[in-house]
Amino acid sequence: MGATDRKPGANKAGGLRLALAAACSVLGVAGAPAHATEVSTGALAYVEPGRVKVFELLADGTHEFTNGNLGNFRFVFDALTGASANGAVPSKKAQTFTSPSGGSGYVILPGETPLDMSFKDTRIAGSGGLTLPWGRLTKATFGAYTSFERDYTSLGVNGALSHDLFQRNTTITLRGSHFADSVRPMNGVPDPLTPMVAATPHGGGDDKSFASGGSASKGVTDLGVGLTQVVTRRTLLALNYTGTNVSGYQTDPYKILSVVDATTGAPMPGTATPELDLYEKRPEHRSKHVAAAELIQNLGRDILMLSYRWYDDDWGITSKTTEVSYRLNFQPDRYLQPNLRWYHQSAADFYRRYLVDGQALPDFASADYRLGEMDAVSLGLKYGTKLESGNDLTLRLEYYKQSGDHAPADAIGDLRTMDLFPTVDAWIANVGLTFGKQ
Amino acid sequence: MSARTTRRLLPALLLLVAGMMLGGCASVGVKPWERDILARPGMTPGDDVVMSSLDEHIYFSKEASTGGLGSGGGGCGCN
Repeated sequence: MGATDRKPGANKAGGLRLALAAACSVLGVAGAPAHATEVSTGALAYVEPGRVKVFELLADGTHEFTNGNLGNFRFVFDALTGASANGAVPSKKAQTFTSPSGGSGYVILPGETPLDMSFKDTRIAGSGGLTLPWGRLTKATFGAYTSFERDYTSLGVNGALSHDLFQRNTTITLRGSHFADSVRPMNGVPDPLTPMVAATPHGGGDDKSFASGGSASKGVTDLGVGLTQVVTRRTLLALNYTGTNVSGYQTDPYKILSVVDATTGAPMPGTATPELDLYEKRPEHRSKHVAAAELIQNLGRDILMLSYRWYDDDWGITSKTTEVSYRLNFQPDRYLQPNLRWYHQSAADFYRRYLVDGQALPDFASADYRLGEMDAVSLGLKYGTKLESGNDLTLRLEYYKQSGDHAPADAIGDLRTMDLFPTVDAWIANVGLTFGKQ
Repeated sequence: MSARTTRRLLPALLLLVAGMMLGGCASVGVKPWERDILARPGMTPGDDVVMSSLDEHIYFSKEASTGGLGSGGGGCGCN
């Protein structure tokens, strides 16, 4: 049992038992786990008023076999519906767009942010893994993952090797994973930086205009190293570094960019559509570096958790994430945990809110606000309690807000009066139930 | 130093820092019988696997950065 392993207990009477169990595990004495199987379940409701709604169910289970091996499984189901920004700019006139999901098109009123109202998908994901002791201080983990959406499939494998050092005060983990993802846009893969096709009466765009075929793929490879260190009797520190290489199709086939007049900022007329909108294009290679640190400090009754993450990639995006939470153990089996998270990211090199008529097309361009410079704040409160049955119940409510530059200084003409980065607000509610934990 | 050079040197720098830290790790920590507090609920990174996983999915969908204390991402068409 390493520095990061979960242990049971919460009350004073359990303290001695816990210490003995921990000492026994260090000495290699067989300590019998009280429960061989632990299952955690959770449900999430995510609502952006006027935009996206998501409902997600998750079950995660771990089973300890008599030989000390650990099996793990996870199932996820989520359903998503609502509206998502398509990337086009608002205009003083009504705009018409082709629906990517089978509709005959949709109209956006003057001054409103163009949202694709037909955003809808469901996802089913499953994963399983096995952790095998390799000697007394080393563990090896192997796993596989798969997920299916209407237009997206992912298959992945992962592995990790962890080793305990210095009386198990230090755990080093090396891990790697590879995902092979495939996207099948509903109207085929659009040719990047070409005009959006016209809607047809039978729904969707004119398939003949999608010259690139019906699907595209990418590979995602992660390699990481982690260190978990017991610093004192009350302090634990975790450090992680992950390098990620993504290769293949990373363009969002449903996102577009407006082409606007160089003087007025109004969307240019298209030949097949009322306005000229081009499909976006992103580079096919992305290299990411993530370093993260987490500190857990016991303050007697309560626990303080601090974490910081630094992220950088070769698309030009750098981000910093700081998170703090405080577990207020107001009763032996009950706690309240407020949580605050700050996030800031810089824009991708190829992020452009729009393209200007008459200027040369860039090699890559995307108006997806998620690639723009932004700040995000989330504030949450979690309540946890142990039920009479011995199961753990958690409830959480969280508010999430994203904001960016509403009025860029270089905006053209009419666009100076438009909101070019509307604030996104979201409410998140969770419920979790864990069985078999002691 | 340019951002590109920094990116190229980053893995080597991290390895160096990790090596130095590992040397320091040998001198900190607790005895096996002093782990009672560390064994309490809430004292483990990623203790709440369900909430952590649901959070990761939200942030993966809404932001350009992925990964950190867990996987670097992938496996979802939401970004």
